[in-house]
Parts: sequence; C-alpha cells; structure tokens
Amino acid sequence: METQTIPNPYREIHATAAYRRLMVAYYFMVKHARWFGKKVAWITSGGPVEPLYAMGVLPFYPENYGAMCGAGRVSVQLCEAAEQKGYSRDLCSYALTDIGSNLTGKGPLGVLPKPDFLVCCNNICGTVMKWYEIQARALNVPVFFLDTPFIHDDIDEHTLRYVETQMEDYIAFLERQVKRPFSEKRFYRVGARSLATIRLWKEILELSKNHPAPFPAFDAFIHMAPIVTLRGTRWAVRYYRKLKKELEKRVEQGIGAFAREEIRLIWDNIPLWYDIRNLSKILSSQGAVLVGDTYTSAWAHEQIDGAPSLAGFARSHATTHLNLGLAYKIKKMTELVEGYGAHGFIMHSNRSCKSYSLGQYDLKREVTKATGKPGLIIEADHTDSRSYAPKQVEKQIQIFLDIIRGKEQA
Amino acid sequence: MTSQTARNKIRKEIEDITSRSYRDIASTLPKGRMPIGFFCPFVPEELIQAAGAFPFRLMGTSAQITHAQAYLPPYCCHLVKSSLESLLQGELHFLKGVVFSHTCDSMKGLSDIWAHQSLLPLQFNLMVPTNLQSKHARPYFRAEMERFKDFLQSNVGKISSDNLKASIQLFNRIRERLGEIYALRRTVIDHLPGDYFARIIRAGYAMDRVRYLKLLEKLVDSLPDHAEADGSDVLTPVYLTGNMTHADTYFSLIEDAGAIVINDDLCSGARTLRLMVAEDRDPLEALTERYFRSFFCPTKYMTPQTHLETLMQEVADSGAQGVIFLLYKYCESCFYDYPDLKSALEAKGIATLLLEVEDPFQSKEQLKVRIQAFVEMLSPL
Repeated sequence: METQTIPNPYREIHATAAYRRLMVAYYFMVKHARWFGKKVAWITSGGPVEPLYAMGVLPFYPENYGAMCGAGRVSVQLCEAAEQKGYSRDLCSYALTDIGSNLTGKGPLGVLPKPDFLVCCNNICGTVMKWYEIQARALNVPVFFLDTPFIHDDIDEHTLRYVETQMEDYIAFLERQVKRPFSEKRFYRVGARSLATIRLWKEILELSKNHPAPFPAFDAFIHMAPIVTLRGTRWAVRYYRKLKKELEKRVEQGIGAFAREEIRLIWDNIPLWYDIRNLSKILSSQGAVLVGDTYTSAWAHEQIDGAPSLAGFARSHATTHLNLGLAYKIKKMTELVEGYGAHGFIMHSNRSCKSYSLGQYDLKREVTKATGKPGLIIEADHTDSRSYAPKQVEKQIQIFLDIIRGKEQA
Repeated sequence: MTSQTARNKIRKEIEDITSRSYRDIASTLPKGRMPIGFFCPFVPEELIQAAGAFPFRLMGTSAQITHAQAYLPPYCCHLVKSSLESLLQGELHFLKGVVFSHTCDSMKGLSDIWAHQSLLPLQFNLMVPTNLQSKHARPYFRAEMERFKDFLQSNVGKISSDNLKASIQLFNRIRERLGEIYALRRTVIDHLPGDYFARIIRAGYAMDRVRYLKLLEKLVDSLPDHAEADGSDVLTPVYLTGNMTHADTYFSLIEDAGAIVINDDLCSGARTLRLMVAEDRDPLEALTERYFRSFFCPTKYMTPQTHLETLMQEVADSGAQGVIFLLYKYCESCFYDYPDLKSALEAKGIATLLLEVEDPFQSKEQLKVRIQAFVEMLSPL
C-alpha cells in the first residue's frame, strides 16, 4: 500500500532565535577564551561541568561539536582526515571528527580552542577514555579522568564512595590547573543553577506528554545544546525559562509543533545529525511525531538531590542513562512509551555508539512485550552519513507507520 | 622414557584438548569441579580454583553466526559474537556460570544481553576500575574482589586462606613454566613450532590446571638444554601484539614466511606473565595489587603514554625487527591506540604490519601474502 503524504506544517519555536544567539555567544567565548582571561577545558558530554564553571573555566565539548559538524554535513571529510592518519573507520565518528578537526583545523569553528587541560568521564562509554588519551598526547595537556563504574544492577556503597572520592580529586586537580582555591560558595551557586536548569529541562521535555506535543524530539535535539554546554550558568536558566514559557503557552492553547499529530513515537539513541530535517519531514508528512526520546532525557538527571553538593553530583554522574544496565533501560523506555502515550518507538542502531546500541534487540522485544507497542530498528551512524542508506530507512519507516495504523484501526 | 617420547605424549594430550569443540570438551573437565566460564584475565582464576570450581576461559570459536544476529548489531568483535552464538546454540550448557569483568563497551553490553537470556544458572560482573592510576581504584577493586569472593562462597564453595594461597602458587608456577617456554622457544623451534605453541597456550585455559602444570613441567624437562643447530637463527624475529587470538594460524603463517614470534603482547599470551601474584602477603590483597603493577590492557587507563611506553620497551627488549598488530575487527581500544603506536615504532625504525581479522580461525589465505611480503621486507638478502 502506497502511503499518502500530506503536508504537515511545522510551527517554529520563537525562542530559537534566542537559542542561536546564546550558542553563538558561547562558541565565541570558548573560541576566544584568552581574550576573556579564561582557561579552556575539553570535557566529555557526561562529565561534571559544574566544578569547571565554579572555577571560572570554560568547557568545550568535542561531542557537541561533533554533532554540529554532523548537522553541517562536514563530518565525513573530518573523519576521512583521521582515517588517513590510520584511525579505523569503525571507530566513533564523534571521535574521528574531533581528531580530524584537530589535524586539519577545518570544520565550522576552524581551529578548535586549544585546551589547557582535559576532563574525561566514562559514564557514557569507554570510547571517551581512549579518545582523550589521544588528544592528551597530541595536545600535550594534562587530563583528569573520572571513572564511573558501570552499574549493571544496583549501585553499591563502595562504587558511590569511589566516585565521590574521585570528585574530591577532581577539585584538587582543578585547583592545581587554575592555581586558585576552590570556592564552596561559588560551587553552590553554580550547582544551584545547574539543578535549576536540569529541572527546567525535565519539565520542558515532559510538556510533550500533552497531546499534541509542543516540543518534539527533533526540536529537543537542537535545544539540548545549552543543557550540555551551559549547565550551571545564568544563561542556561534564563534561556530554558523563556523556552518553557513559550511551550506552556502552546499547551494552554492546545497547539502542537505540527498541525497534524496522528502517530506519537519515542526515539532511542543519538539522532542522525546530518538527516534530522529530512527524517522529521518523512515522519511529519505522514502525521507521525517523535514526542520523546531517551537521549535528551538523559540530561534530566533522575537521581539528583535537592541541594547542590559534590556527593549529589557524584551520584548523578555515576547513574546516567548510559551508565545503567539493560533492566533500567527497559524500564525507562517502557515509561517513556506509556507516559508519552506513544504508539510505537524507533531505535537507532548506531555503529558509532556501542554503549547505546548493544542490547537494543532485547530492549525492543521487552518494551513491546510490556506495552504492546511495536518498535523499529534502523541502522546508521550519528554523524557519519557514509553508513546511512536514507531510501532504505524511509521505506522501513513507511512500513512501520502502516503497521501502527493497522494496529490502531484494529 | 626418552625425551622425544615424552614430548610426543605431551603434544598428543595438548592437541586432543585444543581440537575439541565446547560440547566435546565437557567430558574432559575435572570431575567434582563446577565449570565457571570467564573471558578475560582481569577475572582472578585463582579465586575460582580456590572455591573448588574450574575456571574455563571463553576464547571464541569459529562457529557460524546464525543466532546471535537477533541479539547483537553487526559491529561487534568476533569474540563477542561467537561467544553469544555458542551460548545460544547450547554449546555452553556445561558451564554452571560465567564471570564478566568490566573492560570494553562490547563486553559490557554482552554481559547484559547474556544475563537477559537466563541460560546459565550463575553470572557475576566483576567491576574492574578503569582508572588504574587513581589512588581510590585499589580500595574499590579490593571491595569488588571481596564481593566476588562472597559470590563464589555463596554459590560454589568456601575459600579458605590456605586454599587461596595454594591456588595462587599453582597459577604462579604455571606462569613461570610458560615464561621458560617463551624464553626457550627460539632455540627449540623444531620442538615447539608456532601452531603447537599456540595450542599449548590455549590448553592452559581449558584443562585441569594441576594437570596442565605437570605437562608444562614435563615439557620444559624434555626440551634440549642447549640450542641445537635447528636453523632458527635464520628466522626473522617479530613481535606480535593485539587481542587474545590464540588461533594456530597466525603463528604458523608467520613461521612459514620465515619469521618467528619472539615475544607477544596477546592477552592470552605473554601479557598474562605480568600477572604474577606476591605469595608473601594477604592473598586477596596480592590478587588485587597485581593489576596495578604494570600496564595490562588498553581498556584501562594509567597515563596517556603508558601503553606506548610499555610496548616500545617490550619490543626493544625482545630484539624484534618488526611488529605485527593482530587486531579483532571492531576492537575499539586497540584501534584507537594503533596509529600512535605505529608511528612511534616506525620512528624507531621498526616496521609494522596491521592484520585486522574478523574471525581469527577463518581468515588464513588472505593474510598469507601480506605476512610473506612483510617478512621479506624485514629479511636481509
């Protein structure tokens, strides 16, 4: 059966202009950190950024930059530069993009801001440890490594203690790098802003539990940049308040991001940064909307205490989505499908992210068993478009949506 | 019995054990010991042995992957795919349990997938810290060792201090004998050709360790004291680094091409010789401590330079003229390090060859020409 595609206008989020200004300002500052008398640290996306801001250090996120390169479709040429140096194409394309940028000085930002030091936390994957070792050698800068053991089942006391004591070492490392004592007071202020941002982000994402969804996952993929890069700053709090206000208004008025929302879906894994617009169009033209996802909600830390503290951040960083086992992921995905009233879910089997992708087949079976909702697995890569067959995926999605329609009608 | 007869007898036993499939090997395992599978030397075999169980290392097979695709994406290494395949095909039903140690993302994922199938009665995740440089890693790992010991005591049998000490001694003696064999190999290559040598190593993970030690002792005793004129001096010494691939193929391909693996850095090979355990202190403490003494695995962090420095030193000490990287396709930890290791070696005038293998038991002919060309390049006219 040929699926009929009907135009489904997308409603722009007005705050997007403020988002763009915010991110331009952030990248301008981090690119010219020396003008502002600041040091720069490269940090992994799951790393504790709050102590950096508390010490007046500007964070730069190679993964976030990788996403930017992917969205700008320049990732492939940067990956190829890294491959020419001997790096395997099978490695994470975020890492290859970063290595390629560093080797060539090419990419949307040109020459990347040189770090004074690196901060690596393996709560998202083991890849980052190898990647940061490479950059520490290439750039000849020190690296702090926060080791957060993977939690297959429950977190043990000794695991928590291990992460907490390393957080104390992290502070001591920063004091040595910045040559200034750590200010508890300042950390408390940054921490409070971080918690406020996390809460705001969580509330924003949950607005899409409403029908129609005011803030689909494709928007969340874009607007997540401040929760990653600017968490702990006033800028992020202000921006998310503004965004939330606009989205709440949509909910009050019963307006969704799309004029038509017939099928609600959940997304699992990092998006295909180079094809977000096209995928969104394919889905929306058939009345399907991604209303929630596991990726952006990973920054809505669940296990975080009310008051900011090093111990609280240690726990929240030790228990991120990607640092928890399959049982947790089944529970989380089931809750998303049920909580957001989804008709099904799409999982991206991402060859760049084993940490996210291994277990997806069991996850799919279990979530379908628990919710009765079908799932679809598509194979691609988060920034390397060479591993993506768009027409094939488009066909898979069409068939999947037909199945959902058939189920709903039955 | 003459030395030759003794050697033949040992070889027959080693070849018998290493020729068996998982299903066939079950009948040869020591009676009365619960077989517990494990993948990686971060799992202390000594503790499993001391609990009265039998540590059985899963090293991958050449099984055709027909079931595992329903559980794993294609971008996993052969060890991960073939091990799950063996489990799903019922080849591993003789195991009473399996122990995973925290290393790479694929093994981490495999552990969860494995547990989810509930096909073996027991499973344990030993969480090895990744940052071995942190002063907090040691007490953390010690606590994990205690947790592992409790698990074994609850499910297998009591581990007395004396049993653990005896087990540590047994494995230390095995490492010592293997070290002697490594050292002797160049001079007695006629008696220890590469394919047989690979089987000797593999047998040590699949047979009763007391028996294995006896075989190694007999083997060392039966080897000639002095190098006979066996022609090994015309073989080009190469160093082999990479994963746990102890398939016979590579060793014989290298020797057929006119080279000899003078030393290796395989995690089922000479690298395990670094895991000697101090016998004069608290045994659990000593087991913990050994993993912090030297660089052992690229999935672990010491400093950004440690892997590079360790390999450079090992290669220099071995006197190898070239280094062969034998890496599983999709092994991220190895492939991230590879370009910098290659550059550093080549800067010192040591040639390198990368062999990327999907199934180490199957990819013979395609590698033959590359190995031959590499060895010819190294060999003097």
